[in-house]
Amino acid sequence: MSHDTLLDLSRWQWALTAAFHITFPAVTVGTSAFLVVCYAMYMRTDDEVWLRMFRFWRRIFGIGFALGVVSGIVLTFEFGLNWGRFAHDVGPNLGVIIAMEVVTAFFLEAGFLGLLVYGEGRIGKRMMLFATCMVTLGTTLSVTWILVANSWMQTPDGYTEVNGQFQPTNWLHVIFNPSFGIRFVHMLVGALIAAAWFIAGVSAWYLLKRRHLAIARRGVSVTLGVLALLVPVQMLIGDHVAGDYVFKYKPAQGLAMEGNWNSGNTGENFLVIPNQGAAKNDWQLTVPWLGSAISKDWSGRTATPGLKQVPEPLRPAMLPTFYGFRLMWWSSVVMLAVAMIGIALRLRGRLYNARWFHKLVVVMVPSGIVATWAGWVLAETGRQPWLVYGKLLTADAVSPLNAWSVLTTLIAFVLIYLALLGTYVFYVARVVREGPDVEPLAEPPAPARRAAPLPNPALAS
Amino acid sequence: MQLSDVWMLFVALALTMYLVLDGYDLGIGVLTLLDRDPHRRREMHELVAWTWDGNESWLVLLALTLWGGMPLVTGIALPALYLPLILMLFALIARGVALELLEHHHGWQPVWGTLFGVGSLVAGFCQGAAFGGLVAGFNVRGDTFTGGPFTFLHHGYAVLTGLTAVALYVLAGSAFLYLKTGGDTQRRAARTGRVAVATLTAGMLASWLLASPAGPLTLHPTAAVRLEIWIVGAVVLAGGAAFALRSFGSDGRSDRGPAVATLAVYGGGLLIAGGLLYPTLVPPGITVHAAASPHSSLLFLMVGVGAAIPIILTYQAYGYWVFRGKLTRRQEATTA
Repeated sequence: MSHDTLLDLSRWQWALTAAFHITFPAVTVGTSAFLVVCYAMYMRTDDEVWLRMFRFWRRIFGIGFALGVVSGIVLTFEFGLNWGRFAHDVGPNLGVIIAMEVVTAFFLEAGFLGLLVYGEGRIGKRMMLFATCMVTLGTTLSVTWILVANSWMQTPDGYTEVNGQFQPTNWLHVIFNPSFGIRFVHMLVGALIAAAWFIAGVSAWYLLKRRHLAIARRGVSVTLGVLALLVPVQMLIGDHVAGDYVFKYKPAQGLAMEGNWNSGNTGENFLVIPNQGAAKNDWQLTVPWLGSAISKDWSGRTATPGLKQVPEPLRPAMLPTFYGFRLMWWSSVVMLAVAMIGIALRLRGRLYNARWFHKLVVVMVPSGIVATWAGWVLAETGRQPWLVYGKLLTADAVSPLNAWSVLTTLIAFVLIYLALLGTYVFYVARVVREGPDVEPLAEPPAPARRAAPLPNPALAS
Repeated sequence: MQLSDVWMLFVALALTMYLVLDGYDLGIGVLTLLDRDPHRRREMHELVAWTWDGNESWLVLLALTLWGGMPLVTGIALPALYLPLILMLFALIARGVALELLEHHHGWQPVWGTLFGVGSLVAGFCQGAAFGGLVAGFNVRGDTFTGGPFTFLHHGYAVLTGLTAVALYVLAGSAFLYLKTGGDTQRRAARTGRVAVATLTAGMLASWLLASPAGPLTLHPTAAVRLEIWIVGAVVLAGGAAFALRSFGSDGRSDRGPAVATLAVYGGGLLIAGGLLYPTLVPPGITVHAAASPHSSLLFLMVGVGAAIPIILTYQAYGYWVFRGKLTRRQEATTA
């Protein structure tokens, strides 16, 4: 098999394993923050409902977190396994950054997760709250460092090249590279939104089934309130991501995500079927005038520039870039609509009775995850053919492996990850069906759970 | 002594912590395969459940101390060890997820139990095999690995080191069980521990004798055979092995004995391996100094990672302290 085949297989393996991984942090980062809220409210008010919510969401958090950890370890190794040249060239920058992620975030999460999940009855309430806060801090720091590393690949800064290796000269510029700030905020808010839809959807399902109403109402109320605030904020942040970073530093991505090849279109493309080889769209659905209007020229004369401006070998693929952007954008529009309907219903006092709305919120469960995937597809395919933008080509960075080896492991990853995803969905569905009530409400005394008769496993969480 | 030599102390710390910590929980995983009794298996799962991801974090740190500090090693050795390391990742995924499901999912317990055990076994074996593949050396042109997907096997040498690693982890797992359990579980741990010591000693000796014939390993010119390090390592190793044999038989009088002995075995083994290789990282030719990141990277790493490690050790120790004491004694105390 050829070098191109090896490159394609390696890219697919990375894309698959990264997409699988991001699914779990997208939910757990926000869920851990929600756990903090639940436990803090429980400590403040002594209201059992908050404790039930804490224990219930902790179960769902635990398995998602474990999947995030194991799939994250895979990515850490794949940097070297599949992209050995990349590992060598960026090690002095990004290896150090990811090492910081491991010591400040990865260990912190792992260190306090055991206490969060298994510690009840062994540690006091204050310590439990502290452990929950530390897990949340860990997930947030993890997002921070990962976004430092990825943003550096989009907008490299603070380095000098020595024999093809990027060596840091100014760490502040490496860390606070031009795109880091805005992309970090974008990802963090995105993760909170994804978790909020997840929690809102499950809670709404209970409202539909008329089960666990106290917990369901509180879940819907808190998360929809958060969403009504965060979704519009996120759309504004997204605008800045596009304006302050994509069009400024990665113009080719900006051209590809608009879906034009030539530079005469004053309309806005809604759907395109791009033909990368022929550098034209085989078909497109365009709303006239709108493209110019988005560029703030209401006369309709301003055209959107096209991808042909970029030399052919340096063009990102239009298909994933265009639809990555469109999927992210339209899902945010839908999110905004649902969140605003929620506000309207709340003001009219019908939030807990409108069953059609509860069905709508249940459907929204994966919406944040889908938007997160789409955003990452946009960022990563939009950077191609570069791995480090403008500096290191993806094709030059791939490990000189036997393509059959990569094909084998790619197939194995597909099978294993499908099994894991199935298990995860099955498990979450089961926990949701069982509901919060299976938990004993009183805090178990420390040794009691250990003494419960086997084989019925005595579980505190 | 250069900055890169100092950084190797961090690499060595991450390696040691990983072997000591994840060693016992991988070993316990292997031991669950040998025990059919659901009650004892359950005990073993509980012992591992609240620590495995903290323990595994040291593997990630080990990978990162090398990537950030010795990027050339990552760039050459990881592609060269592609198959064993990917298989190790699959195994680590399987056992981690299986364990979480054992704890939270009230069904299919035998399936998850077996997956946890097999995952632990395969992960341990692959780690040993990768180590053997590395020690025996690679063909490198410039800074790129030029061998094939199975080069790491070195005519089966990697299988030998893989099995030796499993024996080492079984010893560590037995020692940990001996420390944390009582009754039948402890008695069985004493038996498996003794078998593991014997297997391990034979495996280590064979690995050491065959290291050079197995591949292009030639000692680096600056690695003037450090006889004194080997002797100290061999004495510590032999002492640890002998003490392990004795203390596993103490019939519950000194529960800590095997754990201490296991630490000595680790210490001796690492001294011998380090004495054999240092300053070579990827035999035959890649040394610490050739592979190191520039000064600014190493400095940043030392400050950042150096500041974090005492904090990490503190809260990991706190975690172990919260779950201190014997699993079974607590149980007996409450049922009584």
